[in-house]
Amino acid sequence: MASVLKGALKSIRERGLGNFLRELREEGYLSCLADGNLLQTKIHNIGATLVGVDKFGNKYYEKLGETQYGRHRWVEYALKDRYNASQVPAEWHGWLHFITDHTGDELLMLKPKRYGVEHKENLSGEGDEYIYHSKGHSLNPGQRDWTRYRAWEPTKP
Amino acid sequence: MGLGLLASRALRSSRIFTSPVSRNAIVRTIVSTPELQNPEASAAAQSPPEDLPIRTPVAGARVEFTNPDDAIEVFVDGYPVKIPKGMTVLQACELAGVDIPRFCYHSRLSIAGNCRMCLVEVEKSPKPVASCAMPALPGMKIKTDTPIAKKAREGVMEFLLMNHPLDCPICDQGGECDLQDQSMAFGSDRGRFTEMKRSVVDKNLGPLVKTVMTRCIQCTRCVRFATEVAGVQDLGMLGRGSGEEIGTYVEKLMTSELSGNVIDICPVGALTSKPFAFKARNWELKGTESIDVTDAVGSNIRIDSRGPEVMRILPRLNEDINEEWISDKTRFFYDGLKRQRLNDPMIRGADGRFKAVSWRDALAVVAEVIHQVKPEEIVGVAGQLSDAESMMALKDFLNKMGSNNIWCEGNGMHPNADLRSGYLLNNGISGLEKADVFLLVGTQPRVEAAMVNARIRKTVRETHAKVGYIGPPTDFNYDYQHLGTGPQTLTEIAEGRHPFYSALSNAKNPVIIVGAGIFERNDKDAIFSVVETIAKKGNIIRPDWNGLNVLLLNAAQAASLDLGLVPESEHSIESAKFVYLMGADDVSLEKVPSDAFVVYQGHHGDQSVYRANVILPAAAFTEKEGTYVNAEGCAQQTLPAVPTVGDARDDWKIIRALSEVAGVRLPYDTLGAIRNRIRTVAPNLLHMDERQPATFSALLKPESGNKTSSTPFGTAVENFYMTNSITRASKIMAQCTAMLLKK
Repeated sequence: MASVLKGALKSIRERGLGNFLRELREEGYLSCLADGNLLQTKIHNIGATLVGVDKFGNKYYEKLGETQYGRHRWVEYALKDRYNASQVPAEWHGWLHFITDHTGDELLMLKPKRYGVEHKENLSGEGDEYIYHSKGHSLNPGQRDWTRYRAWEPTKP
Repeated sequence: MGLGLLASRALRSSRIFTSPVSRNAIVRTIVSTPELQNPEASAAAQSPPEDLPIRTPVAGARVEFTNPDDAIEVFVDGYPVKIPKGMTVLQACELAGVDIPRFCYHSRLSIAGNCRMCLVEVEKSPKPVASCAMPALPGMKIKTDTPIAKKAREGVMEFLLMNHPLDCPICDQGGECDLQDQSMAFGSDRGRFTEMKRSVVDKNLGPLVKTVMTRCIQCTRCVRFATEVAGVQDLGMLGRGSGEEIGTYVEKLMTSELSGNVIDICPVGALTSKPFAFKARNWELKGTESIDVTDAVGSNIRIDSRGPEVMRILPRLNEDINEEWISDKTRFFYDGLKRQRLNDPMIRGADGRFKAVSWRDALAVVAEVIHQVKPEEIVGVAGQLSDAESMMALKDFLNKMGSNNIWCEGNGMHPNADLRSGYLLNNGISGLEKADVFLLVGTQPRVEAAMVNARIRKTVRETHAKVGYIGPPTDFNYDYQHLGTGPQTLTEIAEGRHPFYSALSNAKNPVIIVGAGIFERNDKDAIFSVVETIAKKGNIIRPDWNGLNVLLLNAAQAASLDLGLVPESEHSIESAKFVYLMGADDVSLEKVPSDAFVVYQGHHGDQSVYRANVILPAAAFTEKEGTYVNAEGCAQQTLPAVPTVGDARDDWKIIRALSEVAGVRLPYDTLGAIRNRIRTVAPNLLHMDERQPATFSALLKPESGNKTSSTPFGTAVENFYMTNSITRASKIMAQCTAMLLKK
């Protein structure tokens, strides 16, 4: 604990109080107070090794030794206020769920260049504009035009 | 030679010694009914049964005996049938109720006899005979159901399929293919040919007909159609044996106004519709029996639609009007129905731009303006595609507003609506076949009414009738004499000074056809009185024969004249303050004063929309039920095949709604009620599909004292493919104009 305090004081001295406070907020230390889940992750992080960071900014930690087997890999999500498991991209999923010991950065090389699509989190419940709608759905912005005629355009004089 | 083949040979040879025929044998012969190969079995099948079940003629075939002595009797499968002399064996079989399979035979074309599919057995004949080319002889015993006939068909089918590609899944004819159907009914279930199939280079026949010549079975129906009916020598047969090909002799497009009919005629998928290619399968389509409105012939058509879309248009059999052909314009203009459509009521704002509004607002604006002008300043013009019901409603509405200046475009400013014989094709279209001399006055039937032209060509071909033509130089597909270009020639004939006068007066059934383009001329009455003089002198109008015909141009013309859509004053459009255009796009709007309020009610954004102040979207002929009268006076009906687009409404409903907003409610709410109203004006419009000839001939009319001018006759239709707002919106018609009308 003392080392944590010492590190905090050091950074205040180096970067000033304002910068320190902003960093605190961005790293989610302020939301910790309301979000026990995040607080627990933060406490867990102490002494763990950071295995990698994916392109969304999620941090993957591992701590071997005194942690219970099966709880020795975890993720700290990039978004501190609205996070869920679908934010973990496919390449990190295997590592995080003990399917493989290769980290996501290693597995990223296996991603097919030509047809591999970008990972998208599941936005269900976030509003209609975020959800996938099929081609014929009326809420799909690029939906197919089902009118079978072309109307006269009154543009010419 | 493989082991399996050796084994099968051994099996087959052993079979000969063991059992005569066994259906369970591993190897079967190619004939699907091997037990009939047995001579005793086939002899048993040949003996006619004691009491024959009654058979009805194929497709309601009937025969008329002009001379009872000519009747001969033949036996078809044991059934006696009486036929006139000169009929073929195939026709006799049809009358006896046996449908003979055929590919090359077509009842409207000459007989070729080259497909051999119609082989039947005739007693005392050593070989099966091709029934389509064999004249029936008295007492002939024809057998259509014997093993020899069946085996002959099976063999012919095997040869036909030898070089026919197996591409039914990607063929547009699939589902309506004669070869498909007949190979299912008469073919074998396997073939013996293992060689490569031949392939043929596809020909370019223009923007309408797609060719896949590998599929061709050389029935030569298309060649015979082109030379005999269409009258163009474009198609022909090249090469011999397996190198035989149908094609244009030199690289050339098929330039006929009837070329689309080769698609219907082709028994396989060698000639298919190019615009329809890969668009739909025929079993997905809903057929609606309707009427064509692109010209005054009123060809009977079937509109094939899928959902809200017209997919194609096919001809319907009507012996009196279009036989079984339709013109290319009728067949291919349908894509115009999907483009340039008016789908919302619009009002032109102060800035000159159109704004889409609701029906309520649009009708309120029109009703307000129509009350601000004087009654004599109101003018109504019906377009060439208007149906009788909406023209009746428009006339009633404007009459209630106090105006009587209402006419149909194309009729000119002094239409003769008093005598029906003055604007109808009095002979009827099928009646033209009896004629022996034609005099065409200022009309080019090939572009004005292609189906009438096909009738004239048929007559000229069959009876070598003489054709005289007065008008600008033009293209005919039969022999004709160009007598002159203007009314002077007509006067010379009337005075008996012209050599053609003797031909006309010596003829048994002479026919004069006057083009409706003359309606727009100022000396129209004088020309008609000269023509009537010729008719009187040449004995053209008799109680049994009224040979003085007028060939109208537009679908709405005859009905509008029947309903009495005649303008009250000649110069009404120059002084108009309120112009109601009901689909009128060919009326010249330059003379309309700039402060006049123009309402355009129609289905296409064509020429008149740009002058309109208010646009009311209406239904096209494929979307409404309407009565049209064709050039010969036959009332026919269109039926809705597809729904209206956007916010459009039926024409008569718009006028009915407008009349209510304007405070002069028309007393009809249904189509039936309008027809009741029409019954009081022109009851002939309610006799559907029945030609109502004119009762009084034109000779009752007093002669007009006007002098004919020396201006030569003009061409009424400049571009065959683009005559109305729908065809002008069509892409296919634009392609045809660009490629086929190239001079």
